[in-house]
Amino acid sequence: MPVALFISVLAIAACGLIYELVASALASYLLGDSVLQFSTVIGTYLFAMGVGSWLSRYLGRGLVARFVSIELMVGVIGGFSSTMLFLAFAYTGAFRLILYALVVVIGILVGLEIPLLMRILRDRYAFKEVVSNVLTFDYLGALAASLAFPIVLVPKLGLVRSAMLFGIVNAAIALWSTYLFAGLLGTRRALRVACVGVLALLGIGMTQAKRITTLAEDNIYSDEVIFSRDTRYQHIVLTAWKDDLRLFLNSHLQFSSRDEYRYHEALVHPGLAALPGARRVLVLGGGDGLAVREILKYPSVVSVTLVDLDPEMTRLFSTHPLLTKLNGGSLTSPRVHVVNADAFVWLDQNTDVFDFAVVDFPDPNNYGVGKLYTTAFYRALARHVSRDGLFVVQSTSPLFARQSFWSIVETLKRAGLETYPYHVYVPSFGEWGFTVAAQHGASRFMPPAALPTGLRFLAGPDVAQLFQFPRDMQPVPVEPNRLNDQVLVRYYEKEFDAINR
Amino acid sequence: MLNRREFIGGLIGAPALVRLTRKSPRPIAGGFVDDDMRVGHALRDGSAQPTPRDRRRVSIAIVGGGVAGLSAAWELERRGVRDFVVLELATQAGGNARSGQNEISAYPWAAHYVPVPGPRATLVRELFEELGVLHDGQWEERYLCFSPQERLFMHGEWHAGLEPEFAMSASERSEFRRFGDLVTEYRASGKFTIPSALGLDRASPLDRISMDAWLREQRFASPRLRWYVDYACRDDYGAPLSQTSAWAGIHYFASREPDEPGPLTWPEGNGWIVKRLLAKLGSYVETAAPVSRVRREGGRWRLTTPRVEFDVETVIWAAPAFVTPYVVDELRGERHRTSFVYSPWLTANLTLERWPAERGIEPAWDNVIYDSPGLGYVVATHQSLRTFEQRTVWTYYHSFAELTPERARRELVERDWVYWRERILDDLSHAHPDIRDCVSRVDVMRLGHAMIRPTPGFLTTPERARPNRLLRFYHAHSDQSGLSLFEEAQYHGVMAARQALGLAD
Repeated sequence: MPVALFISVLAIAACGLIYELVASALASYLLGDSVLQFSTVIGTYLFAMGVGSWLSRYLGRGLVARFVSIELMVGVIGGFSSTMLFLAFAYTGAFRLILYALVVVIGILVGLEIPLLMRILRDRYAFKEVVSNVLTFDYLGALAASLAFPIVLVPKLGLVRSAMLFGIVNAAIALWSTYLFAGLLGTRRALRVACVGVLALLGIGMTQAKRITTLAEDNIYSDEVIFSRDTRYQHIVLTAWKDDLRLFLNSHLQFSSRDEYRYHEALVHPGLAALPGARRVLVLGGGDGLAVREILKYPSVVSVTLVDLDPEMTRLFSTHPLLTKLNGGSLTSPRVHVVNADAFVWLDQNTDVFDFAVVDFPDPNNYGVGKLYTTAFYRALARHVSRDGLFVVQSTSPLFARQSFWSIVETLKRAGLETYPYHVYVPSFGEWGFTVAAQHGASRFMPPAALPTGLRFLAGPDVAQLFQFPRDMQPVPVEPNRLNDQVLVRYYEKEFDAINR
Repeated sequence: MLNRREFIGGLIGAPALVRLTRKSPRPIAGGFVDDDMRVGHALRDGSAQPTPRDRRRVSIAIVGGGVAGLSAAWELERRGVRDFVVLELATQAGGNARSGQNEISAYPWAAHYVPVPGPRATLVRELFEELGVLHDGQWEERYLCFSPQERLFMHGEWHAGLEPEFAMSASERSEFRRFGDLVTEYRASGKFTIPSALGLDRASPLDRISMDAWLREQRFASPRLRWYVDYACRDDYGAPLSQTSAWAGIHYFASREPDEPGPLTWPEGNGWIVKRLLAKLGSYVETAAPVSRVRREGGRWRLTTPRVEFDVETVIWAAPAFVTPYVVDELRGERHRTSFVYSPWLTANLTLERWPAERGIEPAWDNVIYDSPGLGYVVATHQSLRTFEQRTVWTYYHSFAELTPERARRELVERDWVYWRERILDDLSHAHPDIRDCVSRVDVMRLGHAMIRPTPGFLTTPERARPNRLLRFYHAHSDQSGLSLFEEAQYHGVMAARQALGLAD
């Protein structure tokens, strides 16, 4: 038996294992819970291989032509499997369905390979040697693939191109088989043309893979996913790497546990510490309970009302042990009252008045969220803030999104409020901005000199400095954001496009 | 324990267990919601009406409870008149500004916005001040149409705005600019006002030619500009370019302020205004009260409705003028002499359980499909303050500009609801391939004579030349202006009320 023949068995086996590993790794990468993903994908794949082996009995005449076509199919489907899965995750809601369908299809095709090959070789060589050699090289191939996958392929090529590379191997074996078994094939020409076509397709795929991954990149996280859920309103993902816990909503980073204290101390204290008698506080957005954690550091505060759209979000941050550790169990404090409602509608229908309000919404990257940054919204909010009260608005980055930041400030002014913008540096976000808003005609807001004890970032004497803007963050002429003309969404889109380019 | 036969039997039966039954298409509920069509046809055919049992004597009867009739009532009421009645044929007042409501949202049945009124539309401003839409010179932000206002589906994708700017050639771009410059000139002439009566030049040469002829005369060749202007005429007049006078075609563009912040709109469209007017005037309105006969007797008018015969001094006719020869004894000879043409419309409200798939920018308030015979759809939940709406209601519009009005009316009567539902869904599926999986209900309204059509020569038609030739019988309907607009209906309604009180000619 020629050694070359068994090298191809080894390669086929390696390909088969690679597709299985690619699917498992992608599933745990995107869905989290790697034990579950690896078990179910491998189980399904092996089962499908069994189905393929069983089906092989129904393949009769023209075994070599069948074998070549199966190799080509495995090459195309397996080669593009990770591409399809990335795109399915990014653009469809049926990722799991597509995942298991692909695993079944590839498994069946791979399951057909070895039985067919054995039958082709049966008449040429002694059967006991065929079985012994084919299976030996099959298992050797599996070993080679399982070692190469984590050590060389994923780090050097990534998941998309690894799958494509092995698709090319399958197609090359198909092409080679048309020469090796030339005597057993009737028409060879059409099969060879098909082989060349598949090779070309996968070759193009290899060179364009970068573009495919950027297409789906929005949904790729660099750390291990420990929680992932599609709620009615958003896609919540938590990732963890060593001591860094990160929250993503619709694939936008919300916080990193390494530096969120900088963000949340800056969000709450410059405003709230300036109101020594504040008793009632409202938080809009901020379902992570981290702003609430800071607010609860004031003994004078008797009640905090948190209005967040998504009940799954507030439930997660009230119950998940890692998260309640991070927010100090703030959402289950007896002083805190959680309401799951759309903030604008809630303001419109409620009459409660607060001494201080924290507005911590996602950035205005669409017209739906953009409504929460309009003159109409701030007017509605101002009716819920007492005459000498304040509220603070997370206002995006005055450095990367300078027009957006100053447009939010302008919007607050047009809503009839006095504004006091400030900024801090948060490593995982960059330079970030906030605006304190006071009722028109109220006494002038003075940055507080005394802060609660136990803060990690802010100290009293530093607060006033936050209100100084260096030259590259100074105001620019901008329009206010209104319900009927949401310029902010357009500013924001333009500015973040410029960064991502 | 299973024996061998049972086991094999089970295996044979197993495929039946895992068989996939082909999903039958989702059931889509709905039907026609236009019972008033039957009532209108009974008036036309002179079918036997029940003899009214009661008689009521009032000073003024307003026939028609649409925006014209309600505006006449608004004017009478604010001038201290109490002795009047509004007689509405349908079971719900509002006419073209009627609205509906389901568990998701209120929605319009036809008219769905009012442009921010210009300086000459003083009556609209007065009404909006009264309703809190305008206060201290500021338009209430939540009644102005939210961003994004309009989008156009073209080349497989949604684009911002209604002008088909996407991948437009330089020569087409320059035609759009030249068209814009001409509109600016006409606007500056002061002859294209809202209400139209205030700037009207009856002898305008533009009234004598069609918009189609005008575009050719001005050597506009761009297909996209033609589509854009044609869309405007189909949208506001239900008429194609060839059936719209150049005066009306230009009025559409030149009467609007170039950079108004609006339009003003509400989930239920102009139904919001109707609801507010009815809150104040509802006690004067009799619904399901079609006037089947109007006759002069003893120096007064007698109006026959199913239950009551009204004995009145003055009639304010706030229904379309084409109805008068069928019910007013004095005008019965004029049935075939009318020159007013009315455009038929079909509107539908679609309940969506989820938003359909699509490509391009986010859903807007007004969503138009390029090169579609329909006029697109308006999203009823667009004015919601929520950041997120899972379900929604769309109002779909179709104006039959491609058919003669007679032919279109015949289709409206003859075709069943399933036919219209499928046509609507087919049209929408160009932009939303999975629309059938999203829609749970399609309610269809047929409006046989939805709006007056400003055909070439309209301004000099005999009906317009001498509208009020009957004694103490005043026309209030927007068809008098040729423009089926809220502002025109309100203006004519208020003017008719003033005429009835002897305050205007």
